[in-house]
Amino acid sequence: MTRYFYDKRVREIFWQVALLAGLAVTIVLVVRNASQNMVNAGMASGFDFLWRTSGIDVPFVLTSYTPESNILALLWVGVANTLVITFVAAIAATLLGFVIGVARLSPNKLLSGLAGAYIEFVRNIPLLFFVLFWYFGVIAALPGPRQSIGLFAVAFLNNRGLTIPIPTDGTAFRIAAVVVLAGFLAQAAIAVWAKRRRDATGAIFPVWATGLALFLGVPAVAFGVAAVVSAWDVPALRGFNFRGGFVLVPEFVALFAALATYTAGFIAEIVRGGIQSVVKGQWEAAYALGLRPNRALNLVVIPQAMRVMIPPLTSQYLNVLKNSSFGAAIAFPELVSVFVGSALTNTGQAIEIIAITLAIYLALGLAVSAFMNWYNARTRLVTR
Amino acid sequence: MTAAGTLGVRPLRASLIRRLKADYFSTPLNALVSLACLAAIVAIVVPLVRWAVINADFAGTTRADCTGGGACWVFVKARFGQFMYGFYPPSERWRVNLAALLMIGATALSFWPGLPRRALTVPLLWAGLLVVAAWLLAGGAGLPRVETRQWGGLMLTVFLSVYAGALAVPLGILLALGRQSELPVIRLVATIFIEFWRGVPIITVIFLASLLLPLVMPAGWDIDRLIRALVGLAFVIAAYMAEAVRGGLQAVPKGQWEAASAQGLGYWQTTGLIVLPQALRISMPAMTNEFIALVKNTSLVSIVSIFDLLGIAQASLADPAWVGMNMEAYAFAGTVYWLICFGLSRWSRHLETSRKTTH
Repeated sequence: MTRYFYDKRVREIFWQVALLAGLAVTIVLVVRNASQNMVNAGMASGFDFLWRTSGIDVPFVLTSYTPESNILALLWVGVANTLVITFVAAIAATLLGFVIGVARLSPNKLLSGLAGAYIEFVRNIPLLFFVLFWYFGVIAALPGPRQSIGLFAVAFLNNRGLTIPIPTDGTAFRIAAVVVLAGFLAQAAIAVWAKRRRDATGAIFPVWATGLALFLGVPAVAFGVAAVVSAWDVPALRGFNFRGGFVLVPEFVALFAALATYTAGFIAEIVRGGIQSVVKGQWEAAYALGLRPNRALNLVVIPQAMRVMIPPLTSQYLNVLKNSSFGAAIAFPELVSVFVGSALTNTGQAIEIIAITLAIYLALGLAVSAFMNWYNARTRLVTR
Repeated sequence: MTAAGTLGVRPLRASLIRRLKADYFSTPLNALVSLACLAAIVAIVVPLVRWAVINADFAGTTRADCTGGGACWVFVKARFGQFMYGFYPPSERWRVNLAALLMIGATALSFWPGLPRRALTVPLLWAGLLVVAAWLLAGGAGLPRVETRQWGGLMLTVFLSVYAGALAVPLGILLALGRQSELPVIRLVATIFIEFWRGVPIITVIFLASLLLPLVMPAGWDIDRLIRALVGLAFVIAAYMAEAVRGGLQAVPKGQWEAASAQGLGYWQTTGLIVLPQALRISMPAMTNEFIALVKNTSLVSIVSIFDLLGIAQASLADPAWVGMNMEAYAFAGTVYWLICFGLSRWSRHLETSRKTTH
């Protein structure tokens, strides 16, 4: 008996079996209690509720949802709104974060001090504070529709949100999106071809130039043409409010502003760390090899800085995705707000609704990290 | 040059001007940047000071006493008790103060260099403190009971941070060890646990805890809603703590394990005596940063109607006697959060630089 007790293999198996048994007992107890409690409370179970008519009015809809649609359509409204706010906030936070991160490294102490003050201010206050502040403090304090702040005379910011023009027919923009996608694919093909040719012949193809053209030029031209071709529904003041255009509700504007300004503080630190991680010797070594400054930057410095920045940037993008749920605090209709909030109150099916919500966040999060990991694997340091 | 010349005021001023010129006005672009920054600073600081200090009202008791046009700090003064203690009965607030004093004492004692057998006494000290503080705050056994419904304000923010942190640290260490374990089942379970809680928004976890915990408990069991939120926060923060500790574990060289094995130490002896002390020292700054994130995230409990500092500041805006005090409430709550988190982050940076260990 003691022989088995002191056997390492036996003990290892014992601990693992014990853990599994403990988990199994917990799960059985939890399921039994839950089903008993649900029977006692007369609660329904199953996923049939998804096809019931929702009857919930949502103030910010990008899909064809109406209160007569079913709850599945309501779920899709929440997912779409979550994706949109995440996408636009992540882009804005990246741009702002890069600017602040570079400013932090400026030799001008005033500029770097300002950037540092911003970073320290933002990082040490809860995000919920910013969400509430932008919503109740800033947007609510804006003037009414008649005294709107006009942006280039086509978009108007007031206490009912941001009214932007929309095209009356989206066909041109759909075509533009396809063109942009084709441009990205072409760039990917060029990158593969250029690398193969460089490995074979040593000739360097200006991938960066075509990348710039295909990633910035093609989208700009495509959307520019689409914008000119399309007929626009421009908002105009009629009586007490704006008619026409599309209203980005105050909740959207506040959540966007909060996510962008908050996340930018974190991205700025990542950018600073990434740039600082490339030691001066790398520049000098690149010059010693006879590389010109822009080649040294593209081939030596940026790849190394990106390598340091990509994993933490991934975490930040995942944080933006998860933090979009702060919309629930100001009733912006994102996933948590419409589903865990409204749909749960209406149907009472807490287990199913929370399970679906968690599954969607996990799936979206896995998709983001899978993409970023793929990108990271392409750029990481390969050592022996 | 005379001695007076080298030490005198004039050359010093000249060198100051020269340095200013070199640092801020070396090129036209640099000068432009400097002027823009200066303009930005003036544009932010001047109205802020005018609002918060010069035109602000500090004295009085009602809204009518605010006549300066700036901040109405009278509001914060009138609400100060609630911002600090929530709806905790004023006659019992000494208990909160005493608990806070005990906590400060325990913190000081934890970092007192003369403390004997630190690895044993510090956890025991804190375990004892948590029990005593919970008894003080909730009451019972002689003290009048104060329902958790009445707790709130800064006291609740600190309570949630300390108790969730105290649960999360040991759980996080176990999870980190599990994730590094050689036993596949344990590794898999720990990894799934960590990735699950890290992958979902903390708001959904608080909903999950407050809606589903009562459902999975045996009929008749009633868990206090503050405890529910606390458990939710603790699980999430434990998952993040686990990753912070894992970083530390990975930084301990394999040779340390091998050396311990060569001495004939078993798994728990090696882990407890050799590896963990080194790993925890390395991961202390990362763990402090996770703790800062926890302090900030406690604000989310207001989503299930538990009023921490931010929640109670937000709720105070609904008072018809003090309409329009948004900026004052946010400024106060924001400053308190900032002071706490900035202090902690400075401390974390101090740990990073002062405790550098090398192998």
